This record gives sequence, C-alpha cells and structure tokens, in this order.
Amino acid sequence: MTDRLENMALVMPGLLLLGLAFILPVLQMLVLSVSGPDGFTLEHFTRFLSDSYYLGILWRTVRLSALITLITALIGFPLAYIMAKSGPRLRLWLTLIVILPLMTSVVIRTFGWIVLLGRSGMIPSMLRDLGLVGRSFSIIQTESAIVIGMVQVLLPFMTLSVLGVVMSIDGRLEEAARTMGCSFMKTIRTVVLPLSLPGIVAGGLLVFTLSASSFVTPSLLGGSRIQVLAGSIYNAVTQTLEWEFAAAQAVILFVGVALVLVPYLSVAGRRNG
Amino acid sequence: MKLDFAKMFLGVSALSLMASAAVAQEKTLTINSFGGAYEEAHRACIITPFEQETGAKVEIVTAYSADAFAQVRAQKDAPQFDIIHFSGGQEIVAATEGLLAPIDAAKVPNLANVYDFAKANVAKGEGPAYSIAAIGMIYNTEKAPSAPTKWTDIMDPAFAEHLVLTDISNGYGMLGFLMINQVNGGTLENIQPGLDAVTKLLEAGAIIVSKSPEIQQEFAQNDAWLAPYASDYGYTLRKAGLPAGFVQGEEGTPASLITVNMVANRPNEDLALKFIDISVSPEAQQCFADALRYSPTNSKAELSAEVAADVAYGEDGVKGLLRFDPIAIEANRAAWVEAWNKTIAR
Repeated sequence: MTDRLENMALVMPGLLLLGLAFILPVLQMLVLSVSGPDGFTLEHFTRFLSDSYYLGILWRTVRLSALITLITALIGFPLAYIMAKSGPRLRLWLTLIVILPLMTSVVIRTFGWIVLLGRSGMIPSMLRDLGLVGRSFSIIQTESAIVIGMVQVLLPFMTLSVLGVVMSIDGRLEEAARTMGCSFMKTIRTVVLPLSLPGIVAGGLLVFTLSASSFVTPSLLGGSRIQVLAGSIYNAVTQTLEWEFAAAQAVILFVGVALVLVPYLSVAGRRNG
Repeated sequence: MKLDFAKMFLGVSALSLMASAAVAQEKTLTINSFGGAYEEAHRACIITPFEQETGAKVEIVTAYSADAFAQVRAQKDAPQFDIIHFSGGQEIVAATEGLLAPIDAAKVPNLANVYDFAKANVAKGEGPAYSIAAIGMIYNTEKAPSAPTKWTDIMDPAFAEHLVLTDISNGYGMLGFLMINQVNGGTLENIQPGLDAVTKLLEAGAIIVSKSPEIQQEFAQNDAWLAPYASDYGYTLRKAGLPAGFVQGEEGTPASLITVNMVANRPNEDLALKFIDISVSPEAQQCFADALRYSPTNSKAELSAEVAADVAYGEDGVKGLLRFDPIAIEANRAAWVEAWNKTIAR
C-alpha cells in the first residue's frame, strides 16, 4: 500500500462520519429551505427577511452572542492568565472549578439560575429589600438572564482556549519587558495580550457559534416572550410544523454567523500574520 | 427524516402486534394510551377491570393523539388497533375518512347515561368522550383578594402582576386563550380581540409560561394568584401542597374531550364495544376523577364533594361546557401561533 492510500484509509472514517452526519443533513436542509408546494421557491426567505419581527429575532441573536463573547473574553483572559501563573495544584483546582458547570445537566444548571434570579429569588429580593427596585422586579425572562446563564456555560471554552496559548508564552518575554521599564499593566497590554490573541480568537469563535445556536438556556431563562433564532426554529419544527420555514431560518442563522465570522477571522488572521 | 423514523416505528409496532395477534387471535384488544400517570390511571380504572370481566388481554401502545391518528391513517388497509383514544378532536377527521367504525348505541348500554354532547356523533363513528379536561381558572385560595367567578375577572387589575398565562403552543393554553378571546368579543375567525387583551394583560405585569410545571413554579415561588388552565392541574398543585382552587368561569368552560373510538375493519368488534362500554361506565369515570380530576361524562357518575369541587360535575357544572371546533383550531394553528408570538414578543 502506498503512503497516499494509507493516508486515505486513515482519513476515511472521519470523512465518512462528517459526510453522513453533517454534510448530508445540511444539504437536505438547504433543499428543504427552498422547496414549496410547486417546487423551487424563495418565499420562506422573503417571509423572514420582510418581517420586522423575524429580523428582530435575528438581530437579538447576533447582538446577544456578541455580548456574551465579549464578556467571556473579559472574564476569561485574566482568569486564564492567573491560572497560567499559578502552581500546578492550584491550576488543577481552578480548571476543575471552571469546567464544573459543564458537568451538570443544562436543565438543572438553568433551574439554579431561575431560583436565584426569579421574582422571589435571592438576588431580586435582596435588591428589593435594599429599596433599589420595584415589587415586581425580576431578572428572569429578560435578556440579562440569558447573558448571565450563557456566560456561565461558555466561560470554560474561552478560558481553556486562552489558557493553552498563555501557557506557551515564554516567561522571559515578560521579564524582559519589566526590566525595560514596563509596568505590569503595560506588559500585559503590549506583550501578553497580543501573544495570546490566537487563543482569544479561537475561544471567541467557539463561544459565538455556540451561543448563536443555543436553545435550551435562552428558552428557559428568556421565556417565550424573548425569542432567539434557535428557539424560533424549534417552534417552527415542533409547533406549527412549517419545516420548510424552519430550514430557511436555519440557513439564515448559518449565513448570519458566517457573515460575522469571516471578517472577524480575516482581521484576526492579519493581526497574527 | 421524521417520516423514515415514523415508518420504522410503525414497522416495529406492526411486527410486535402481529406476533401478539398470532398467540391469541380473538382474545387480544390493541389500544393506545397516553403514557405516564394517565396510563397508570387508565390501566387501573378501565383496562384491568375490562380484562377481569372478559378474560381478554389488552395490548397498550403508548401514542399521543396526533401520532395515534397518523398510525391509524397509515394502517387504513390493515388496521392494527382495535380501540384508539384521541384528545385533540382527531376523531372528527378520522370518522369522515372512514377509519372509525360507527357505534351501535344499543350494544353499549352505559351510553344511555352519557351527556348528549359527549356522544353526539357515535353513529357516524366519532367515539364517545369518556373524560373531559375542563379549562377554568386556577387561583391561589390564600392570597387572591377574591375568588374569580368569570373569565373577565382575568382583566381585573387586582390580579395584574399575579396572573400567569400559558403559551398557545400548549393545548390547554390554546383553549384558555380562545376563551379570553371570546369574552373580549373575538371569534374563531377573528382572534384580534384576544390578542389585544393579552397585550393589555402583559403591560399590566402578567407572565407567560410555556409548560405546565412552570405554573407550579410560579405559584410556589413567584407569588402567582391566577392562571387559566385545566382542572386536573389545579389538583396537581394541591397535591404539591399549594393553596390552589379551581373555578369554572360563568361565561363557559372550554372542554378538551378525550374520546374512545372503535377502529373500522377489525375482527373484535364485540370486545371493542365492551371496552367502550366500560370506559363510559360510572365506575370507571369515578375512578378517573378520583385519580386525576378529569371530569366524567356519565351523568350517573357519583363523586365525593372533594372531587366534585375540582371538576365540571353535575348539571350546572356540565351546562357551561363548550367545545372550540378542533378542525378550525388545526386549520389556523400556524397562523395563530405566529400572531401570538408577535403579540407577546418584547
């Protein structure tokens, strides 16, 4: 067997899996999104794109995902830096704490937030006792609740991506910067941050795509009055049985995420190039 | 994809049905039930008594109404079910398509005491309703300033921030909404008055939930006082230790009829009729009301005062029952859900 054939044989299982489990369904979805009773049609796309209700859902999905990405980066980068600088034992514990949310079921985790954020939950009642908010104040069923819940779930993806990169930064670079007169913050800003950008980009990609397509957390924390695109797709599939419209929405989600990501990647790629 | 799965499922269930049919050709009755606590009560109140009385064996396939209807339709040429239960009005379509066999009332003695509206079209094949989920108002008996008596009380500002509405993706939520629509001047052709009312309620501070357990949560933790929903769920709340009462609105009580139907072209007709007879018997319905608080359809069913308070019972309780046309609901569902989603969106 030649090298080429061996390589092919090695890559085949992966390709087959990708083809059967990903490419084929995506193609089916594409076909479904343009099929109508009389063959080819774009009516599902025009229905979505000409209705301010659905455009609002799309905009909310993109906006919240961007916000969630930004917040995870703001928390994840310092956290990863501290983890990288701490001893192996402490790092192990910190890593455990960071990935702990991923080890509980999404439903249980979300119900925990409902208990904390609901109308009679700990946080709103505390704020109410302090006289800061009105009687019916609640964080649940708001966009803030979605952001809080999603940041908790997605933080490990950002932190661990950044951690890997920060760990590989040569410590002597920072020492050199400090001996040359940089303050701590300036060292971070001019040396560590630029060098860890690939980790932040990779983490940001993961967080953005995961939050744009997430469904359970937004539907439980946001309620039925605050729709995101994934929830709207779910409704179309399970409630109104408009599968073609659901497929069209899925294509729009896919294209929308791609439109955001391509410039992001090319900018990030130039910075690193 | 879904279709393939359904076919596979049909194939498997058909195989298992054939296998069991081969063992006991005459003495097996195949039915569907709805799973969970419902199926438990179904077994205790109807299926086990039936087996004891006839010596026949009952095969239960767990399938909700829409699924069950799809299966019966797919099996038209070789039906596998003897008895099929529907809760969403599917029997109307099934009867017109000839999937159900007409029922000879003379062979079902208990039918004589069943309310007229629950057996209106048995001769056409629409099986009788053997229990009813009645939609009324569940309220907090300790905190509500006064017990609601009519549907328009929902609009009372006293309840504003303590009102829980249910999304119309939920079947009971749909019936509750159609009732709110009706008392505000709407019809099945025009749901705008209902949507306008919901907008007002939301502005006043009402909450919308999409699943029934969330109602329990709102009552337990978030100081909810009033929720239009089904009588059986009021009982669920009370069993959970919450001070919940159930009232029927004066303007009427939307009913979700659960029917027992005989599938056409099956060999066990007498056995199937016997099963229907037991389903509509006073004993079975008392048992069902005791267990789950579904309302009986047999006028001879005798309920204890405690159970009667939770269901539509007696002449007065039953008088107000009304049924929104299930065919109209199905035809409009997609459009209504979209209009509803737009109305409640923030």
